[in-house]
Amino acid sequence: MGSGYVKLERESENSQSGFNASESFYSGALDRIRRFMLVLWIALSVGGWLRFGWRLALGFACGCGIAYLNFYWLKRVVSGMADRIAQTGKQQSGKGIVVRFLLRYFLMALGGYIILSVTPASLYGFLAGLSLVVAGIACEAAYEIYAALARGM
Amino acid sequence: MRKLSYLFMALSLLCFVVPAFAQGGEAAAPVNWVAITAGFSMAIASAGCGLAQARATAAAAEGLGRNPAARPGIQLALILGLALIESLALYTLVIIFAKVK
Repeated sequence: MGSGYVKLERESENSQSGFNASESFYSGALDRIRRFMLVLWIALSVGGWLRFGWRLALGFACGCGIAYLNFYWLKRVVSGMADRIAQTGKQQSGKGIVVRFLLRYFLMALGGYIILSVTPASLYGFLAGLSLVVAGIACEAAYEIYAALARGM
Repeated sequence: MRKLSYLFMALSLLCFVVPAFAQGGEAAAPVNWVAITAGFSMAIASAGCGLAQARATAAAAEGLGRNPAARPGIQLALILGLALIESLALYTLVIIFAKVK
């Protein structure tokens, strides 16, 4: 009876620690995506420069920069919105949230226009660079699959 | 109200009044269907993405309002969802640029 109780308690502790570990693992997903994006930004820009030339690499780097900023602002906007809904933390003004949300699109359009008017050849690189967020999310998904298979999280 | 709806219907019909239809049989300049289709496809993609983002945000806001303790999970799902939805409009733009060159 006593040993059974201890075993049950140990199992409960193990499942609790496993739950905490997996929760902390998944809560770091956004930071990992941000890091994946940075690594892809640098690696693919250098690779593109060597393979396709500096024009396309420059466009790609600009697109990546805008996509990175876009993701960062999206995170801040969602966080500010959640603060307002849950009425926690330092609440941002509603006007600021909306302006930041719309500023992202304006920035993307401005970047596209500048690239198109200065060097049209690098437009494809720019458009590819804007997909950096998706590439980061795909890397995170692959990493989570690896972690689930290797570590059992 | 009914008069107003008739007025709007008449106005919408006027949108189809194109001077080109009134012209004779002489050869007109070829219509750039690719550009027209590209514009429509971008409009449809933007509308779909906007609708999807609005629904995702509304659902997340409702979930947060009901259960503020579930904030980290909802926030993560919302950010990823919005980023992926936005990327769909971006892919449409890429296809348009590839086609309308």
